[in-house]
Amino acid sequence: MEEFENKGKKIREDDPVGKQIPDHVGVMQLASLMGEILLSNGAEIYRVMDTVQRVIKACGYENHSVYVLSNGIFITINEGGPDACTSVKHVPIGSVNLEKLARVNQISRNLCNGYITREMAFAGLQEIKQKVNYTDLGMALAYAFGSAGFDIILGGTLFDSIAAFLIGFGLYYVLKFLSGYGHVSRFPSNIAGALFVTVFAGAFAASELGLSFNNMVIGGIMPLVPGYAITTSIRDLFNGDYLSGIIHLLDAFLTAACIAVGVGVGIMIINYVGGGTMPL
Amino acid sequence: MILQIVLRYSIHFISAMMGVIAFSAIFHAPKSEYLACGLTGTIGWLTYCVARDLGTDVMICNFIATTVLTLIARIIVIIRRNPITVYLVPGIFPLVPGAGIYYTAYYMFTGYPQLAVTKGIETIEVAGAITMGIIFGSFIAYEYFRQQREFRRLMKD
Repeated sequence: MEEFENKGKKIREDDPVGKQIPDHVGVMQLASLMGEILLSNGAEIYRVMDTVQRVIKACGYENHSVYVLSNGIFITINEGGPDACTSVKHVPIGSVNLEKLARVNQISRNLCNGYITREMAFAGLQEIKQKVNYTDLGMALAYAFGSAGFDIILGGTLFDSIAAFLIGFGLYYVLKFLSGYGHVSRFPSNIAGALFVTVFAGAFAASELGLSFNNMVIGGIMPLVPGYAITTSIRDLFNGDYLSGIIHLLDAFLTAACIAVGVGVGIMIINYVGGGTMPL
Repeated sequence: MILQIVLRYSIHFISAMMGVIAFSAIFHAPKSEYLACGLTGTIGWLTYCVARDLGTDVMICNFIATTVLTLIARIIVIIRRNPITVYLVPGIFPLVPGAGIYYTAYYMFTGYPQLAVTKGIETIEVAGAITMGIIFGSFIAYEYFRQQREFRRLMKD
């Protein structure tokens, strides 16, 4: 045990950070960065574990162990040897970004097939991590078109869908405004989002253009509905990652409850303002 | 009559396509995959519509639609070589019980608690049906590919 400790110290003294790191530590950094990008952008646990293991194996280390939770990655290489090393990485649950997922997948496949070197993979990963691949206006339009499209298929008319388009457009900026306040939990922003949708749908319904309040709200809240959480939780459970599956399932239920609360408060406000005479 | 049905389905096709593509943009799917995402979600939704028009129970409709959706996503994955998440996440949205969540809250806050309970249970049932659909779809795909692998190995030997 003492021998290992001394050896560890020696490496640190001889090799200051950034100068030269042992080969297997470099592999671990690469694998851990890959896992981090996958996990924080919405991959399921099985995929993260599989990718990290494949990368470590492709770099020639058979003795490894990987454990992934929905917000953490633990990797050990050469366990029990004199050069054993372990990485513990906390990965906060981020927003879903499927393009980053697809690109990391591509890099890992290329690396495992030997098309690219480790250095190229690392550079590529860092570029992906930094990249912002959307604009605010584009996102707002996506919210708007999403609300409008789902408004029609869930029973709305063309005019309802135009109103839902405007509500969805505003909803993105409301959520963005709330996320500007540092670390706001997702619960208040979901409640506020649903409240915004309901109140504006009430305003449109009060304009006496014959718009359906129900359809406008249903279209408007679609971007908040926890479709991603449900999908991921089921797939985690299917793969046997019960802990992470339950976390996402709980997330889905709580998000749904937050939407319900937001809509309910909105209806109470509309009733209060309109004196119970609003055409809901 | 037939014209009406065709018209209705085309409207559903176009709006579902628009909605799902917009949602793939919300989840930052790669731009080259927008159409594939849209197609996955739209086929899932049209399956639901057909099943509903044939008078099937809501739960069964959701189950069948999600199974079809998962299988389609799996097939597209083979062609496009991307993680299945890219197609499954936006594609599932037309089927997710957003309307159920809304009606539950609506009846609860407008003074119809019994209707709210009915709607709430229905919402949970639909979510359960979607769950079963994804599991069943994944299982079929998994079994199929396992058989394919075994078949290929046998051919090699």
